[in-house]
Amino acid sequence: MSTGCQKTTSRAIPTTRRVTINDAAHMPHDYSTTPGGTLFSTTPGGSRIIYDRKFLLDCRSSPVARTPPRCLPDIPGVTSPPSALINNEKATPPLQSPNSHCSPPADKTAGEDAQFEMDI
Amino acid sequence: MNNKFDALKDDDSGDHDQNEDSGSPKECEKEKNEEEEKDQNKKKTVVPGAGEHPLQYNYTFWYSRRTPGRPASSQSYEQNIKQIGSFASVEQFWRFYSHMTRPGDLTGHSDFHLFKEGIKPMWEDDANKSGGKWIIRLRKGLASRCWENLILAMLGEQFMVGEEICGAVVSVRFQEDIISIWNKTASDQATTARIRDTLRRVLNLPPNTIMEYKTHTDSIKAWEDFHGLVNASGGR
Repeated sequence: MSTGCQKTTSRAIPTTRRVTINDAAHMPHDYSTTPGGTLFSTTPGGSRIIYDRKFLLDCRSSPVARTPPRCLPDIPGVTSPPSALINNEKATPPLQSPNSHCSPPADKTAGEDAQFEMDI
Repeated sequence: MNNKFDALKDDDSGDHDQNEDSGSPKECEKEKNEEEEKDQNKKKTVVPGAGEHPLQYNYTFWYSRRTPGRPASSQSYEQNIKQIGSFASVEQFWRFYSHMTRPGDLTGHSDFHLFKEGIKPMWEDDANKSGGKWIIRLRKGLASRCWENLILAMLGEQFMVGEEICGAVVSVRFQEDIISIWNKTASDQATTARIRDTLRRVLNLPPNTIMEYKTHTDSIKAWEDFHGLVNASGGR
């Protein structure tokens, strides 16, 4: 604009994020969303990483999301660190989680079907 | 991951040694040291793994349970609250969530808190002290699903209120359960209205659901009134 401005040269778009799709479940639910969440450049406060519920629920079934976290504190009745299973899990990928409440298909059906039946 | 606030580990609630026995002590120790270094540099303590889906913010899960018979004070609240762990990606979130009891299955007077990393789930935290919360009371049986919908909306940045969201709480009580979402600026009506509307949408609440906004200053005042105001040592 003013004469004191630096000369502008073209540059590559600074941040590129590659999202690997290993499973159809990782694809976004609707066409307005890109894999890995949508980066809106024009929202107040700048870019934000946005995920809808469906996408987040789909990520639940990926193997990495089912590995227990390291250093999960053992609070009886609250957390269930599968300390006994850690060695086994290194040998074989954990297809089945030890806890019944981890089973994604069951949760999903409950979540989807019950959505509109709430009566508070 | 659970050792960031060492003071909070120093717990005298009667159930000791809760942070000690998860699988592999060596790895834990290493992680802890790395985190302490990073803490000093005021950087994020957890990062998304390769190929994982990063979240806009890092978050920390907390759990608290009221110990019967102990005098309630700001101090004992802080001592009763335990960090479960922090995460930076969608996948890391599910790892924690899938190994935690669902709120509807918790017993007694207990709460899960999910706050942005660095914000303690306390009124007194700098991020919360001018803030407030939307409260929704739920009849028994709804807490697990509502909590899941609430936190998925928060993690996925569905509220669209910039930096305003601080965290969310589910409180399991005797006859009802309560979910709430905390924001930074109680006086910002555009923000609180937008949070309310998003809550209605993501929770699929019926139109007649009662939603209450409460500032933390009011909560503190009510707490003081209830406990016979400030006793000599409490200062709260």
